Amino acid sequence: MAEKLLRLIYDDELLDDILGDLQEMFQDRVESKGLVKARLHYFKDAFLSIRNYDLRRKRKVRYNNSIPMLKNYIKTTFRTLSKNRVYSALNIFGLALGIAACLFISQYVSYEYSYDKFHSNHENLYRVKYMVYRGEDLQINCAAAVPRVGPFMKENMPEVVDFARAYPMSGVIERDNIQFRENRIQIADPAFLKIFDYPLIHGDLETALSEPNTVVITESIANKYFGRTDVVGETLNLYTWIEKTLEITGVTADVPENSHLKYNFLISYETLNNQTRNDDGTASSETAWGWYDFNTYVLLEDGADPKAFDEKFEEVLYAERGEDFEKYNFRSDFPLQPITDIHLYSNLLQESEPAEQGDGDTVFFLAIIAAFILIIAWINYINLSTAKSLERAKEVGVRKSMGAYKRQLVNQFLTESFVLNFLALSLAVILVVITTPFFNQLIDADLSRAFFLEPNFWLAVLGVYVLGSFLSGLYPAFILSSFRPIQVLKGKMTTNKSGILLRRALVVFQFAASVTLIAGTIIVYQQLSHMKKLDVGFDMTDTMVMRGPEVFAVDSLFGNALNAFENELKSNPNIEAVTNSSNVPGDEIFWTRGMRKQEDTREKNFTVYLVGVDQDYFPTYDIEFLAGRNYDKSFTTDTANVIINKATMEYLNIQTPDEAIGQRVLIGGRDKRTIIGVVDNYRQQSVKNSINPLVFPLTENSASFISVKLNTDDFQAAYEESKATFDQFFPGNPFDTFFLDEFYNKQYANEQNFSRAFTLFAFFAIIVACLGLFGLTSFTALQRTKEIGIRKVLGADISQIVMILSKEFLILVAIANVISWPIVYFLMDGWLDNFTSRITIGVSVFLIAAIMVVIIALIAVGNKTLSIAKTNPVKALRYE
Amino acid sequence: MKGNNLGEFEELILLTVASLETEAYAVSVKEELEKRANRKANISAIHSSLYRLEDKGFLISEFGGATQKRGGKKKRYFQVTNTGFAVLKEAKELKENFYKTIPQLAIITI
Repeated sequence: MAEKLLRLIYDDELLDDILGDLQEMFQDRVESKGLVKARLHYFKDAFLSIRNYDLRRKRKVRYNNSIPMLKNYIKTTFRTLSKNRVYSALNIFGLALGIAACLFISQYVSYEYSYDKFHSNHENLYRVKYMVYRGEDLQINCAAAVPRVGPFMKENMPEVVDFARAYPMSGVIERDNIQFRENRIQIADPAFLKIFDYPLIHGDLETALSEPNTVVITESIANKYFGRTDVVGETLNLYTWIEKTLEITGVTADVPENSHLKYNFLISYETLNNQTRNDDGTASSETAWGWYDFNTYVLLEDGADPKAFDEKFEEVLYAERGEDFEKYNFRSDFPLQPITDIHLYSNLLQESEPAEQGDGDTVFFLAIIAAFILIIAWINYINLSTAKSLERAKEVGVRKSMGAYKRQLVNQFLTESFVLNFLALSLAVILVVITTPFFNQLIDADLSRAFFLEPNFWLAVLGVYVLGSFLSGLYPAFILSSFRPIQVLKGKMTTNKSGILLRRALVVFQFAASVTLIAGTIIVYQQLSHMKKLDVGFDMTDTMVMRGPEVFAVDSLFGNALNAFENELKSNPNIEAVTNSSNVPGDEIFWTRGMRKQEDTREKNFTVYLVGVDQDYFPTYDIEFLAGRNYDKSFTTDTANVIINKATMEYLNIQTPDEAIGQRVLIGGRDKRTIIGVVDNYRQQSVKNSINPLVFPLTENSASFISVKLNTDDFQAAYEESKATFDQFFPGNPFDTFFLDEFYNKQYANEQNFSRAFTLFAFFAIIVACLGLFGLTSFTALQRTKEIGIRKVLGADISQIVMILSKEFLILVAIANVISWPIVYFLMDGWLDNFTSRITIGVSVFLIAAIMVVIIALIAVGNKTLSIAKTNPVKALRYE
Repeated sequence: MKGNNLGEFEELILLTVASLETEAYAVSVKEELEKRANRKANISAIHSSLYRLEDKGFLISEFGGATQKRGGKKKRYFQVTNTGFAVLKEAKELKENFYKTIPQLAIITI
């Protein structure tokens, strides 16, 4: 290697004896100091020889290596730049915009792809999915598996190094009267902290989660409750269905944003086992095969193949569970899913952070857009610099007659390209730094500026820079350097036919891309407003929802307290109705059961989603009854009855709502109930999800959520009053509320961000495309100066001239439109298929996009054409 | 070119080559320099000086024998040219002139 380096450094003439010298010294050193040192010395000598790079080379005749010429090129570059201020500004600014947009997107994209890669084991970490088939029908496809499967895999599969389960909970955490509702509580195995990289700041990794009633918290939680992080040994009280005092045994750093699994509290698994202990001493949180709430992660050995693992495990599992499968006619499966795929490519039931789940397609889409914008910007540069070439023709002529080689001219223009690209790049980086917070806000992303410190980023930038400068500089460089000196010095411009054709093609491409983006934006926007306007089947206006209290003294009294609380609220004139339920619309339902008609066989079971409601639920949300009646307080037998939605009715194979009334059904295999009402389907979740079969058992005191329908505009007052009442009835509970419409529409946050990003980049693209068009128009106008002069002398008026000039690019824009239509159609049709209720793409979209582009283009070039059309013909004809 | 001025290191090299007479090539120059002037220099520095001095016309070079130790590569032997000697002399005289103008030194030498 050292020798190669030397060959690079020295001219052939010198190489031989220098190599010999080094070799001789090497041999001497081998004798005196040993081989290793001699080698190192040899390498050092070779390396230090870099200083002799230009030794003797100067003597040779070379075209391109003289630094004075390079200086001259840079000087001329800046001279031309300052000579044509507008042009240069347009050119650099257009390029900078393109690069900035590209940087933004690539930042975002690389962030999305970085999820869970911070675990040092990430290549061997898998999440265990839980799938249940009934016959061929996939009934459950869930991110959380059953508690038994983790230990079972470790016992039976030698590839499994370790496993960890995480059981998510929410609850109230209290310490000395400071209390908060906390959502990110996970009950985790001791191995959790070992297989994942969540470093402990305080505490012992080996023992942190091994004892019951212990908890590991994050740094910011420690600060929140204690104001310091060194809190090992302190205690916190947990109130939820488990009520315990927990001892803190560890503090970890906060969970990185790009982790699919987030926690603030990790409670030891033994704590849960103690709660679910059976009479015989086993715990169902260790043995259950049907309780699927446990995110289970396994760490496989290096090189283990997940596919082969899945197949092998299927057999192992059948040996253990086959009997049950046959008996109950179902089959469960636990395929592995790489944890690095979870964020972008997983959309299962019970994802850890469903609101945060990314969409691999969208991210890929954005990456393509980024590349598009960059290409448009480069094309623009090519366009503008070729357009400018006419002005440079004389310079080229003079240089050539002074004896410049073609290669020197190419070098000159490439140098210019490098300088310009460098300016644009610097501007782009400044733009990015300044606008990052704004961008974050706009698309609700969390991009830090930390990426500026990453070497990979700069490497990529360097790559883009060199490639871009080269590509965008090459074409103009060759065009310009091929001018014939005699002709250009005579003032006769040779116009290359193919050159113009190419430039037109480039403009068409730019505009096609712009039209695509604009039409895409319109479609995304239309779909969004369609989804928002869509009749969701219930009324979410003016509805405030409070989370039910979790800290209360005795269970039996709770029902009374809740009743009294609701009555108190109802007496408030600002409040129209109050209802409590286990879920509110917009919330993912985790409460599922199998259901069938009583007379049906077990095979007919299907999965339904349960929402526990009280008598006021349907009236408060204004959900329509298709048949039957609501629960009524005067009927004491209503707990043996049930209300279903239309989807459930169809699953039960009942034709009309009226027929359903009075039918007997079995829920969860044991619970016999009579259908007393059928409600219309409403959108429990957004349009992205299909309508699930819902069942609404009467559970008067479930109170996970208390919804309050307000009949006042003074939300603030209603809020204050409700809070006072709440505090009076449930002291010590945090008053945690949200407005339902906001909550519901949060489901569209992804689409909203997508549409904003889309709009922004469409905007970028059109600006850059207009810059290109501007360049082209100026170019053609300049060429046709004489023609225009003659036309004017012969009596053409300004509007006619403008028409003639505009006609050319209008044709280009029209072609661009035609090209982009099918592209838009196929791309967006695919995107719209993600939604269960979608718009159809109408002709109007294309018309609007086309008209917009034409108008914007007209504005961009109008000024220029007008000024050309207005010029005095005398000037134009004296032009030569 | 900057004229015939010699740098301090270049002068040393030139002197070394002169003192080695016909045995001056890069490695021997380096060793001699270490021995006599107690100056450690990397071989690349020696190379660059030698070739620069040749470019200036103070040295001429010819190829000498190859040895097994050098992997069959030839040596390049350097010799000081007449101009080289002239420049050395000039540098010496220049310095001596200066020494004479320093009173203490003048007294000591006398």
